[in-house]
This record gives sequence, C-alpha cells and structure tokens, in this order.
Amino acid sequence: MFDFAIAGIQSPVFLLVLTGLTVGIVGGFIGVGGGYMVTPALIVFGFPGYMASGIDVTHIAGKSVVATIRHRQLGNIDWTLGLAMVGGTMMGVEWGVRLLNMTKKAGVSGIALLSATVVIMLSLFIYTQIETRKAHKQIEEREKSGAHLGREHKATRLPEYFQKIPLFPIVRCHVARIVISMWVIVVVGICTGLLAGFFGVGGGFIRVPALVYIIGATTHIAVGTDLLEIVVSGGYGALRQSMSGNVDMMAVLFMISGAMIGAQFGALATSFVRGPAIRYILSYSLILATVGAFMRLGYLMTGGQYEILSFAAVVFTLGEMIFLCLFIMSLVIFAARHKAGKPVPNWIPSLVVKD
Amino acid sequence: MRWFIDNMIGYWVLLLAISLSAAGLIYVFWLKEHMF
Repeated sequence: MFDFAIAGIQSPVFLLVLTGLTVGIVGGFIGVGGGYMVTPALIVFGFPGYMASGIDVTHIAGKSVVATIRHRQLGNIDWTLGLAMVGGTMMGVEWGVRLLNMTKKAGVSGIALLSATVVIMLSLFIYTQIETRKAHKQIEEREKSGAHLGREHKATRLPEYFQKIPLFPIVRCHVARIVISMWVIVVVGICTGLLAGFFGVGGGFIRVPALVYIIGATTHIAVGTDLLEIVVSGGYGALRQSMSGNVDMMAVLFMISGAMIGAQFGALATSFVRGPAIRYILSYSLILATVGAFMRLGYLMTGGQYEILSFAAVVFTLGEMIFLCLFIMSLVIFAARHKAGKPVPNWIPSLVVKD
Repeated sequence: MRWFIDNMIGYWVLLLAISLSAAGLIYVFWLKEHMF
C-alpha cells in the first residue's frame, strides 16, 4: 500500500506497475499511448477523475518517447504527416484540458470521463470490428487463391474520398505514400487533440483509426506517426495538467517503471504481424476497457449502492490487462512458430508475417 | 478443447476466461483487503 498524498488516496503499488506494464506492451504494439485504458482503470482503482486524467497523460508523455525511438528505428514514422498534424493537435489539447477543468469545477469529472469513454470506445469498437473482419476475410480468400499478400490490407474506401478533397496546400507524405490536403490532416489533429486533452490521453486510440480510415496510412505507419504525435501532445498535456494541479508524480513514476519495459516489447512485436492483427488488438482492448468503465459508471450513478458493480469493474479492468498481454505474447509465439514451419491454428497465417 | 485453439473466437473466449479468472482470484485473495 502506498499513500498518494496529492491524489488523496491509498492504493497498492502493484496495480500501478501492472497498469504501466500492460499499457506499455499494448501501447507499443498498437501505437497508442494506452491512455484510454489508464484513465478508466485509475478511476476504477479509486483515483479521482481529474487526477486519473492528469497522471495518465504525464506517464504517457515519458513513455511515448521510448516507443517513438523504437518505431523510428523500424521506419514506421512519416515525419511530414506527423509535423503537419502537430499544430491542430496542440490546439485541440488546449480546448480539451479547458473542457476537463470545467467538469472538475462542476464536480462531475469522473462521471463525464466515464460516460464519454463508453460512448466513443463502443462506437470505435463496432467500426474497427466490422472493417477488420472484412479485411481478414479478404486476406484469407486471397491466400487461398495463392495471390501475393502484403503487410497491410484494408477493406474501406473512406481514405480515397478524403484524399480527393482539393483544398490547397496539398501535402505529399513520402513514407506513408499519401497525397492529401493539409487541412484534412489539421482537422484530424484538432479532433484527436481535443479528446486527448479531455481524457488525459495521447489520443492514439482515436488517432490510429483516423490515420488509417480517414487519411489512408498503413497501420504500421499510423502506429509510428501517432507515437510521434503523442510525444508532442502528451508533453503539452502533461504541462497543462500539472499547472492545473491534476498530477500525483509518485503514481506517474510507478506507472512509468512498468511502461518502459512494456513499450520495448510491444514495439518489437509489431514486426511479427500484419495490419489487421494490430487492429484486432486495438478493437478488443477498446471493448474490454469500455465494459470496465461502464460498470464503474453504473456504480457511481447508483450512489455506490451496488458493491458488485465495483467488484465487476475492477475484475474486468484487471482481466482486460492480463488478456491483452497474453494475446499479444501468444501472437508473437505463433508468428515465430509459423516462420519456423511448425503447425499453427488456421486463423494465424493471415494475421502474421512469414518473411 | 481443440475448437478453442483452432477458432479465433474460441481462442479469444479461452484467453478471456483465463484472464478474468486470474483477475477475480487476485481481487478476492489479495486486492479486496487493500482497496477502498
């Protein structure tokens, strides 16, 4: 047990280290800071909403530097795309933090954060599930017919629509192989930054799908470029949250110690899998975090009458972390077996890279 | 048992069951006394 004086609560250190480790692995793998899991998790573990948001973004700012360096080495960052987005992201983060401070003053930060989490993540889960299942099915059909399979496959035509918008200036992103109006990139930056500032997250859980489905980047480039964005938005968000008195540095340090180790493993694991596998993990992590947040929301809305809801929220939040670590580790093991020509379940080959 | 490995949904369900059980055990035997 540790006494977090600034947050005003006592909590086991193990929970914070495990949370950090999990979001490190998952974040490094799907290219998100993992913050969308941390804010509801910290609320579930007893931290006040505004404090959860502040701790989350501060730990992300530190961790994303490590993951960005790793992704840069893997060639997953499009600097033109990332830098074009930064201005919009910063503006969005500022608006988001102001919105959070308004809910803090009204005394409803916990309920507001959990409600927004449930709505946004459930919508994202449904969309990514539909698209990824379609892409997975198409990959399996192509594999059966013996056609060449790349590292990426998408089943949506949405990026083509956005890439055709003729607003000057048009930007050419060489690494991502995209030609698109800079305004589309800036607007995506503002929207994701707004959510990042409000939730106290890096914004990756919405920025990665936005980079894939709106801008048209491959999942691997979206993952790397998003992390670059998180270094900027996370750093700015951490500064603003600290100025607002929303950060307990001891909690941040415990989380970062776990996250540093996890981020290295997660980033390395991306080189074993195809795009749809990363999007599956993102999708699963969204729905599991949503269930935990939903139960905690129910507990708060009923005035803490039903202890079972609090128990279920903690079990789902902890279970989600264990599940995601196991899933990513088993995907890497299956990929290594597939590479070595050993037998693997028949749904694995279309999700992992053999060469 | 084979279905849980050969089918992606089955594998998902199996891992989720293991994870939730582990989380439940951690909560009941250790976390409950130290939280709230």
